[in-house]
Amino acid sequence: MPRLNAQTKLKSILRDYYENLEAPLAWCTSAGPAEILRALGFEVYFPENHGALLGASRTALKYIPRAHQAGYAGEICSYLTADIGAWLMQETPLTAAYGLPSIPRPDLIVFNTNQCREVAEWFNFFGDEFNCPVVGVFPPRHLEEVSRTDIDQVVAQFRKVIAAGEEVTGKTLDPERLKETLRLSLEGTTLWKKVLETARNVPSPLTFFDGTILMAPVVVLRGTQVCVDFYHEALAELEKLAARNAAAVPGEQVRLYWEGMPIWGRLRFMAELFAEQQACVVASTYCNSWVFDDFDPDDPLPSMAAAYTKIFINRGEMTKLEYLRRMVEEYRVDGVIFHDSKTCFNNTNSRFGLPRKLQEATGIETLSIDGDLNDLRFFSDGQTRTRLETFIEQLTMKSMSM
Amino acid sequence: MTLDRKTYYLGADLGSSFTKFVVVDDAGDMHFQRTIPTLSRNRELQSLTLAEIHERFPVAATCATGYGRQKFECDLRKTELICASAGVSHLHPVEKSIIDIGGEDIKIIESGPGGEVRHFYMNDKCSAGTGAFITEIAERAELEIGEMSELARASQSSRVINSFCTVFAKTEILGWKFDNVSIEDISRGIYLSIVKRIIKLPLRSDLPVFLCGGVIAFHPYLHDLLAGELRAEVQVVAHPQYAVALGAALLAHRSVGKSVAKN
Repeated sequence: MPRLNAQTKLKSILRDYYENLEAPLAWCTSAGPAEILRALGFEVYFPENHGALLGASRTALKYIPRAHQAGYAGEICSYLTADIGAWLMQETPLTAAYGLPSIPRPDLIVFNTNQCREVAEWFNFFGDEFNCPVVGVFPPRHLEEVSRTDIDQVVAQFRKVIAAGEEVTGKTLDPERLKETLRLSLEGTTLWKKVLETARNVPSPLTFFDGTILMAPVVVLRGTQVCVDFYHEALAELEKLAARNAAAVPGEQVRLYWEGMPIWGRLRFMAELFAEQQACVVASTYCNSWVFDDFDPDDPLPSMAAAYTKIFINRGEMTKLEYLRRMVEEYRVDGVIFHDSKTCFNNTNSRFGLPRKLQEATGIETLSIDGDLNDLRFFSDGQTRTRLETFIEQLTMKSMSM
Repeated sequence: MTLDRKTYYLGADLGSSFTKFVVVDDAGDMHFQRTIPTLSRNRELQSLTLAEIHERFPVAATCATGYGRQKFECDLRKTELICASAGVSHLHPVEKSIIDIGGEDIKIIESGPGGEVRHFYMNDKCSAGTGAFITEIAERAELEIGEMSELARASQSSRVINSFCTVFAKTEILGWKFDNVSIEDISRGIYLSIVKRIIKLPLRSDLPVFLCGGVIAFHPYLHDLLAGELRAEVQVVAHPQYAVALGAALLAHRSVGKSVAKN
């Protein structure tokens, strides 16, 4: 039984979404220009969401070895290897969950390497498989400041996406429809941010693990009224819980921040482990990655270019440090957990000294744990439990001595 | 039959290779210590040991630690890092670093005088540099574990195993055997490779270092090498393989009077 009504509501929303993935259909990366595609009349499917489903359903390890056989190494993105492996074995969890015989066939594939270069290889593989046009957006990477030149460069690439979409659909992009789609995206993402901010309450009514479920609409339905309506309801529910100091983790003693990818196949294990220790993971970079403050319906392409280029994963170390410092302060966390995700180099932020720098900047403790988003061969229940229990006890001892 | 009317506390450290039991009294003095294999086919050994403990001592509280702690009936469960810190601090109530080399991992703990864990570090999900690593490599090298330290002391070699992977390290040892490297040099090479792993871990040079865990108990030469490499005072705690179980017993004692949740 889900703890939140919003989680129950989500099931029917996702069923409707998957059952209505009809042509013309575009595939898009999760932080790509989905608004352009929707405004052109495409339904949009997100392979990363499918990758996460493979992880959460713990079927990824069945498919990853098949991708290895096809030449994809064990150290590269396990969304990619799980997804390609599942395709090569002609299976998908969408069959059992929503009755889909297969992943939906694309009419256009669009990716944005603002997250990583892996998406280019991943999406091009499927371009070949489906004999489908593929358009890539390659923004400048790892930026501290995002300049006007950077934005202009991305806007120029968005225009190529528009041209490709117009060719596939045979229709011209309606500027008013793009404006309206972006308005809905902005409203959806703003509400999502407010949902996450309810966790600033002490105790928090929301955990990171709730967030990894509730985030689905802002990823796959961004730019639709369904997304906006869902977060209106979710926000109202969470604000009520916050008003009466309802705790997502009863007896919340320790507040934590999660940096890095979720470990999809161990979400429940992790949620229960933290709850046992009366520790609440109140915020994460991951869930906040779909907060796009820069969207401006009156300036669609440049504002989208800014929003999608400014995402955390695409920033320099100094900007990342400042972001984390601000989150630590705003959410009043006692400690930060860095997930060293073995196959996700780009979204692992513990390898260039950031935990130490954050500790020096804020005085709060950090912990790195080994794992992976999908490949559970890189994860150990026992070692993770020992590290997390010790870390939480360390933080508890520290707070008692202060 | 119990010894007297004093109260005792049991610490059980269920490690990856061995389970260690320690019983302490109210003053923290050790009255019982025993090691049994953790996953022995003879499952009765654990229940017989526990029956003996409970017959001899009126145990007021039990704390379990180690990787097997979730499966052990007890009043309190604590991680082996928390227990190592408590156990070593009981013996050495100073600011310190603790290096606990166990069967399947290495732990570094920065610990306060009262046992508070200030920072800690564990090796990644790999057995290199641990007890399992030594056992595997020694088997390939046809070395008796108990003789390795003495053999290594007779060597001046700087030959070292380069691979972090236990399987590939065994292949390296095979090459050494083909090259007729002496068993003294092989022994020293195994220890050097472990020390090489440890000294890259974050350790404060201004704190004394205390070594504990089963590996240091059986491989005293590791202490000699570490003392030479680290810019800090290095010593082995008394009964190093029981330091974690001792900490667990002490924490069981501390928990009495507090509300102890049955996990």
